[in-house]
Amino acid sequence: MNNKNPKSKIRNLLLPWLDAIAITAWGVLMLRYWLTNKLNLLIHPNYIWFVVLTGISLIIIGFLKMQELWQRRRRDVTSNSPHISLFPPGWGSALLLTTAILGFIITPQVFASDKALQRGVTADLLGSTRVKPQAFRATVRPEERSLVDWVRTVNVYPEPDTYTGQKVKVQGFVIHPADLGKEYLFLARFVLTCCAADAYPVGLPVKLQDNQERYSADSWLEVEGQMVTENLAGKRQLTIAATSFKKIPQPENPYSY
Amino acid sequence: MNQLNNGFTLFLSLLVEAMPFLLLGVFFSSLLLFFVDERKLVEKMPKNPLLGALVGSMIGFLFPVCECGNVPVARRFLIQGVPTPVAIGFLLGAPTINPVVIWSTWTAFRDQPEIVVLRVVFSLAIATIIGYVFSFQKDLNPIVQPAIARYMKFNPPAPPETKRRGKPYQEQEAMVPNILQSGTYILGGKAGIPLRIDANFVPPTSNSTSNKPLADKLRLVVDNSIQEFRELGGIMVIGSAIAAAIQILAPRELILSLGAGPITSIVVMLILAVVVSICSTVDSFFALSFASTFSSGSLLAFLVFGPMIDIKGIGLMLSIFKPKTVFYLFALAAQLTFVFTLFLNLHVL
Repeated sequence: MNNKNPKSKIRNLLLPWLDAIAITAWGVLMLRYWLTNKLNLLIHPNYIWFVVLTGISLIIIGFLKMQELWQRRRRDVTSNSPHISLFPPGWGSALLLTTAILGFIITPQVFASDKALQRGVTADLLGSTRVKPQAFRATVRPEERSLVDWVRTVNVYPEPDTYTGQKVKVQGFVIHPADLGKEYLFLARFVLTCCAADAYPVGLPVKLQDNQERYSADSWLEVEGQMVTENLAGKRQLTIAATSFKKIPQPENPYSY
Repeated sequence: MNQLNNGFTLFLSLLVEAMPFLLLGVFFSSLLLFFVDERKLVEKMPKNPLLGALVGSMIGFLFPVCECGNVPVARRFLIQGVPTPVAIGFLLGAPTINPVVIWSTWTAFRDQPEIVVLRVVFSLAIATIIGYVFSFQKDLNPIVQPAIARYMKFNPPAPPETKRRGKPYQEQEAMVPNILQSGTYILGGKAGIPLRIDANFVPPTSNSTSNKPLADKLRLVVDNSIQEFRELGGIMVIGSAIAAAIQILAPRELILSLGAGPITSIVVMLILAVVVSICSTVDSFFALSFASTFSSGSLLAFLVFGPMIDIKGIGLMLSIFKPKTVFYLFALAAQLTFVFTLFLNLHVL
């Protein structure tokens, strides 16, 4: 692989460094997300260990490669001829490195009401088939159920009257879907199965009393009240009749699982 | 601006979730390239076409390669005289039917286990059927590239019983990496012997570690992993960007109306499967981002057809087969996927 062309010689010397740097950068990015608690915003907690392990492995691989390149820097034997690919040499690593740099600059954000509306929140959101019951604890007191627990329970026993009068105390963020009247708001949480790509909103409508303040979209609330059945968008729907609202800060981990 | 940031978050989450699986996939495939003796495997292949196709599509369990690693291996299978149905079955089945891909699909579709099971079942069925169909083509000359046909004509594979067992160590040593190494090959001019044009694969004699074959092998494993990781990683970045962009930019009504139709949803996903050359190890995360809007059948169509054929795969397959053959493979796989998943959409899910 003696390249007479000085340009391609430089390329052959630099490209392996690009590979090593891109790989190391991704390792560092993953560990950074982990250490700054941002991984929660991206993936399901079950896989955090896997990402951390990958981050460490990538850093090790990157450093091994750099060490090797450094040791043989005087010899021009590192010509990395193109692998099977759609890309010209260097593009794969360049893309990886660019994304890693973007990842350092731009902070991932918590999905909010705009995303929920885009994913499709309607008053009959409860019909969502994607929320499947997981381990049920039979003895749970109604007021100890989280918002997601409620939605799961209702998916199993959909008759809203079953729950009439039960006490509720749940936390979530506010959405104002177009088809809900002014005296209602929708309290929601995002549920993650795998990663942010499949985050989908679930929640329950909340009925406000006349004298109650209207909260703006995306504010986080703790709502206390009782369950009632309301007729919303032509459908009988389990609704929280709120007795008290408390503004709460956005939880450190805003997603449910 | 907010939309843009949502899109970026989605894009990043796809990458962060998929990257570990990609690394695992390339590491496994690199490891096995250097440590598994393919020759013994070749000798054990069944002669019955149907059984051969079935076994061929399950070899992926031994070689967890994704669609970029399997073409070179399938080519060497053919050159070594493995029956055609086995090679075709492997070509189409291996990228899906392997532990890493099954695990990543399970990760993505934990709450829809039927997707995971059906992905395996459909891929296995389609790979076996197509492998069986190709078993009726006894003469390989009309379907493979002339260079391969010529090579096979002048170097007929030795019948299995005459093969010597217990080759000298060095010979085996030299053979295994060359046979299994995924990478760039050209079929050399004279005898059509596959020539590796990968300079990374330096013979171990060139430095002081030559008497430590294990350390050397490990270094080659790391080098090969890096090569595959950067290529497939680059493709994954583009694939994730496309998925995120569609989520954010495409009008919701359009996506909903396309995704709900039993036929349109499958057609759209089949097209996406061809266009988005995302690696099979991580394509389930791509599909996942459509899970709330597209029918389950169409998601399966993407997951089954994508690994078999995509833009990058076509280029690779043309290095083995004539264009006509690639077209047949392509059309058969697409039609079978369409029929299977449409049945699912209309009658089951």
